[in-house]
Amino acid sequence: MSLPQSLRTSVTPPELELIACQQLVEIIPLISMEKTAFISGAYGPLRPPHKAQVPLWMALNLKSKKKCHIVAPDWLSVEYLQDRLTEEISKKDFSSLPFRFTEIAKVLLDVASDDLQNPDRLRLLLKDIREARQAKSREGLRQLDHSALLLTRLCSMEINEIRPFFIQSMGVLTQLTRQSTSES
Amino acid sequence: MDWDDEDALLATSSKGDALDFLNLDAPAPTETETPLSELIRHWMNERHAPTILAAQEQLLGLLLDHIRRQTDAVQALRGHPSTSEEEHIRIMLVQTEVERVKFIVRSYIRTRLYKIEKYARFITTDAEIQTRLTTAEKAYASSQAQHTDRHLHYSVLQSLPPAQAHLDDQPIFVPPMVTQPNKSRAVFAYALKECPPVRLPDGTTLTLEKDQLTLVPFYVVEHLVERGTAELV
Repeated sequence: MSLPQSLRTSVTPPELELIACQQLVEIIPLISMEKTAFISGAYGPLRPPHKAQVPLWMALNLKSKKKCHIVAPDWLSVEYLQDRLTEEISKKDFSSLPFRFTEIAKVLLDVASDDLQNPDRLRLLLKDIREARQAKSREGLRQLDHSALLLTRLCSMEINEIRPFFIQSMGVLTQLTRQSTSES
Repeated sequence: MDWDDEDALLATSSKGDALDFLNLDAPAPTETETPLSELIRHWMNERHAPTILAAQEQLLGLLLDHIRRQTDAVQALRGHPSTSEEEHIRIMLVQTEVERVKFIVRSYIRTRLYKIEKYARFITTDAEIQTRLTTAEKAYASSQAQHTDRHLHYSVLQSLPPAQAHLDDQPIFVPPMVTQPNKSRAVFAYALKECPPVRLPDGTTLTLEKDQLTLVPFYVVEHLVERGTAELV
């Protein structure tokens, strides 16, 4: 078939990763390169040791060939994430994190963990944050009805996680309401 | 092509603009929407929407042209022996990007094809949905519908009594035989700009502010997605 069964209900995490990798990051190049036109725009010139902005996929590619260091985004630091975790546990709302933070954190920890400070601690914090947020999004299911549910600050990977269940539930609720209105 | 212009292909400093590979007017990477990010948005919309959305022929043509230009330039440079190691990295990066874009284009088209195959019979009867398809897609839908009809006719229907040999019955209490897109399926909509108020199924209205995320039935936000004020995530 034109679209494999596994891709029909939802987007897969690797696809979300692909989208997230379009975002720009700062790198410290170890090679020089003239300004080059890509489909998504022109990047460069790379002149070591000056910082440059390139898409994440390019940074990861260069990094895996040891041609650059990636400058971690501000939010990917122990202090920032620790603050978010405290906020996540103490408050009812979701704390504000970049929309695609899970994907970006994952690829950076996989490929460029030596450019990050204290990667093991970061991994732990991200895991704790994820669990705290997961509990909250499950809690959100209580508020689900057939018309609308506002989800503030939910991140792309979290949406993807709850998608099949929430869509199905809403479908059932829609059916139930339609039936009860036609009866009354 | 002229081999003396080889450097001009990749270096911005040189004068040549052969193959347009180094288009200096290429927009600097900013937060504004480039053709590629536009396609990614349409790709995701298409993946999440229960029905077929408007075809993006022009955008797709633009990107396919760009892919071809980049590939041609890479081919030309790769065959040339004097390419330095530094150039190799650039070529590799350009190629990587071309592959990424190709993946997105393919996945986008396959998603549309999947829906066309699924709703083929409905598409042939519904004029509204046809306005959102390209000519080639319309032709594909009708041939798909014809083939399945013929197949069903020869394999089963011809030996049934005529009263039961229809493919478009609308019996009561059971869903109709022609599969239709279920527009009340819920979607996650993300407001890219402030949206005008929309009417919810329970009768209330909802105004989406910028960056707000909501789970609503698709038909509620359909026009917002079409206009690009909201995207499906």
